Amino acid sequence: MEIARTFGSTQTALFTNADTKPTEEGTTLIITVSSDRGLCGGIHSSVSKASRKHVQEKPNSQVVVLGDKAKAQLSRTIRNNIRLSFNQIGKATPTYTEACAIADTILNEKIEFDQAIIVYNYFKSVISYEADTIPVFSESTFSKSGNFDAYEVEDDVLENLHEFALANSIYWGLAEGHASEMASKRSAMENATKNAGEMIDKLTLTYNRGRQAVITSELIDIITGASAI
Amino acid sequence: MSFAWKAAGISYLKYTQICARAVRNALKEEQRLIAQRRDEQGLKFAKWESGKQGELKPIDSAMGNVSV
Repeated sequence: MEIARTFGSTQTALFTNADTKPTEEGTTLIITVSSDRGLCGGIHSSVSKASRKHVQEKPNSQVVVLGDKAKAQLSRTIRNNIRLSFNQIGKATPTYTEACAIADTILNEKIEFDQAIIVYNYFKSVISYEADTIPVFSESTFSKSGNFDAYEVEDDVLENLHEFALANSIYWGLAEGHASEMASKRSAMENATKNAGEMIDKLTLTYNRGRQAVITSELIDIITGASAI
Repeated sequence: MSFAWKAAGISYLKYTQICARAVRNALKEEQRLIAQRRDEQGLKFAKWESGKQGELKPIDSAMGNVSV
């Protein structure tokens, strides 16, 4: 994940330094990074909520969902915006090959966009994560950037850069999402075990008290019976 | 400068993946086995039209998936 972060942040540094800004009327593609498996706390809801917020701001954005859990949540509210969904995500540590395959599929489907936003869970620490976004800009948006003249680029390379930027950012989102999910799963499991343990203790006490109360009342009966003789 | 692979219809990402595969296959036995594990992907995707999900199709890593 650290490596993916380094690659990804250098990528976004390029866009920040070139001062790339999306136009108001530009089309947006929202890529929601999640996974197929549950029992990981609020991971999927956090990403779904963030995606829904973006769609509310730009109602004609298109959405690509990675992972069945997020797909289920998003298809309840923004069905009509979804263009593609992927599954078999999150089974193992994400590889760059997967990210490339996803990016290639998106590009092959000829989904037009001026800006792609990758919504993922940023790994803040072992116990906390936060939904965050990575922007990826299309060639035309990038070539209109404020500081574009500071870079010497030949035009043909821009399309390659766009493809690579998309794959790189998807890989970063996948890696961080995976890390956040694993951490959240671990803490969810720990909490569940702790709660179950507490419940067992409390119930054991209640059971023993009940048992002792029954024995005490039986003893009282026997003793009063014996003393009556 | 126009790229030969671009003229042949391969995207930049496909091109880098093919090169990576060639490099992985060129490694010695041990390292190759480790590296080839990074080359696998078993993702499936489905197209959605107006709120309805199409059928799930696996991504064909060799051919890329041409939109049919």
